[in-house]
Amino acid sequence: MLDDYLKANLASWDEAVGLHVGSELYDLAGFRAGQSSLHDLELGELGPQVGEGTTLLHLQCHFGLDTLSWARQGATVTGVDFSGRGIAQARALAGEAGLARRATFLQSDVYSLPDKLDGEFDVVFTSWGALIWLGDLERWAQVVAHFLKPGGTFYIAEFHPFAYLLADDSTPDRLRVGYPYFQYGEPQRFDESADYADPSAQPEHTVTFEWNHGLAEIIDPLLRNGLRLDHLHEFPYTIPGLPFSFLEPDAGGMLRVKGHRDDFPLSFSLKMTKET
Amino acid sequence: MSDVTDPIPPEARAANLELWNAWTRIHEHAPGYHTEAFKAGATALKPVELEELGPYVREGTTLLHLQCHFGLDTLSWARRGARVVGLDLSDEAVALARRLAGETGLADRAEFICSDLYAADRRLEGREFDVVFVNWGAIEWLPDLDGWARIVARHLRPGGVFYLAEVHPFAYLLSEDAPEGELRVEDRYFPTPDEPDVQPVTGSYADPNADTEGLIAYGWAHSFAEILGSMVGAGLVLERFREHPYSPAPLWSWMREDAGHLFWLPDAKNGQRHDQPFSYTLLATRPDH
Repeated sequence: MLDDYLKANLASWDEAVGLHVGSELYDLAGFRAGQSSLHDLELGELGPQVGEGTTLLHLQCHFGLDTLSWARQGATVTGVDFSGRGIAQARALAGEAGLARRATFLQSDVYSLPDKLDGEFDVVFTSWGALIWLGDLERWAQVVAHFLKPGGTFYIAEFHPFAYLLADDSTPDRLRVGYPYFQYGEPQRFDESADYADPSAQPEHTVTFEWNHGLAEIIDPLLRNGLRLDHLHEFPYTIPGLPFSFLEPDAGGMLRVKGHRDDFPLSFSLKMTKET
Repeated sequence: MSDVTDPIPPEARAANLELWNAWTRIHEHAPGYHTEAFKAGATALKPVELEELGPYVREGTTLLHLQCHFGLDTLSWARRGARVVGLDLSDEAVALARRLAGETGLADRAEFICSDLYAADRRLEGREFDVVFVNWGAIEWLPDLDGWARIVARHLRPGGVFYLAEVHPFAYLLSEDAPEGELRVEDRYFPTPDEPDVQPVTGSYADPNADTEGLIAYGWAHSFAEILGSMVGAGLVLERFREHPYSPAPLWSWMREDAGHLFWLPDAKNGQRHDQPFSYTLLATRPDH
């Protein structure tokens, strides 16, 4: 069964690479022109720790824009994704951008990465819409800890568990809970005809399986695998890309809940250090 | 005896003190507190507290219970062998706690102190405990969690354990008036320490029909970022964090109570829904070095 979920999600993500490369949201032209694809949040909170020679492992890297943005900042990066097309695209971009020397890309799902990759890293990084594709955060946390040097930093910027709770028909006057906070291993099946980065696209592979995770379900296994909490931050806004009708962009382009612009958490960041 | 540096405004302190004294008179015999069962030997602690903190509480363990109300939980730890100190703002609650300690033969291992939370340092002086314990609907009465966490850390011995079992921030967001079965987000998630939520009180979480005419509650919302951040900022090391699909008290009349006095969302077949968070538990330690 798990293989069926993985197969459906992989077909969707393989196809998404082709759709996303040309999308406005991913802004490949901007990246090629030298811009970072990272947001102020990641740059502000993790940026100071990423410099010349920092070794960084990016889990679930899609086609590598964020990975390569860290490489541009001087890091020696390894990007990992389960999509072969994502990895091929990432390698092509690394060559184009003159970053191939300091960027390695590897096709692997998260759980089997320790069988395919050696070494320990100064930083393990993951972000935005990664965790819903993982059913087992115990194993994920073991992988994160496995690849961190003692004293190394784990950083994640993600959509808040609360952002996945609200019913599709929620309105400012009626924000109704419509989805589970606790998933207990069984994913939700979605059949979405629209792509989050390119609403005009008509993808062929529309069925995906996704897992919501509570904050404790994310943080607790990391604690038990020897990581110490440095910070948990929560924000009433999130980056573009969540296709919910009850969200609207603010002046800076971040999404907020209509009628609750400062009240409701839509994203969080977590920084942790592996004990020495 | 309010402290000059107390972040609780005087009008909020006065209203909440009056409320907790009134609630103490109601709660001694309220359906939500099982005082007679406790006297007969039952523990007042929830299964999750016994499971998670129980292994740290043995004969002679010293335990500080902040915001202890009338001491049923404090005394339940004493019954397991701990030497306990309970602290609460309500003079009537502390008086009842002392009386119950006497009635249950626990007076020699239970001390109760009447004090505002933010004045605890003055009353406890340099005392350090093996365990500091806070539970169920405590921090909503506090505007400043950084100050609170520093008090917790100052009264833990190096290597000691802080345990918090609390109502989930999600539960505080939800409308009390939505139709049965609907969870509707109404209140804000992010804290506003300078703007308490001021509400007239109708009954009590332990007795919805109690007469509380004229009483007012001053409360403060807290986010996970604030709660966890206050603990990290006070030098505590977070060890465990869990969220649970049940509440220690009914948020709506249509929640279902189980044998352990936990309250659940009912599903269509009148069973328990496990998909939404209504409580959480945190365990942290004060480092040895």
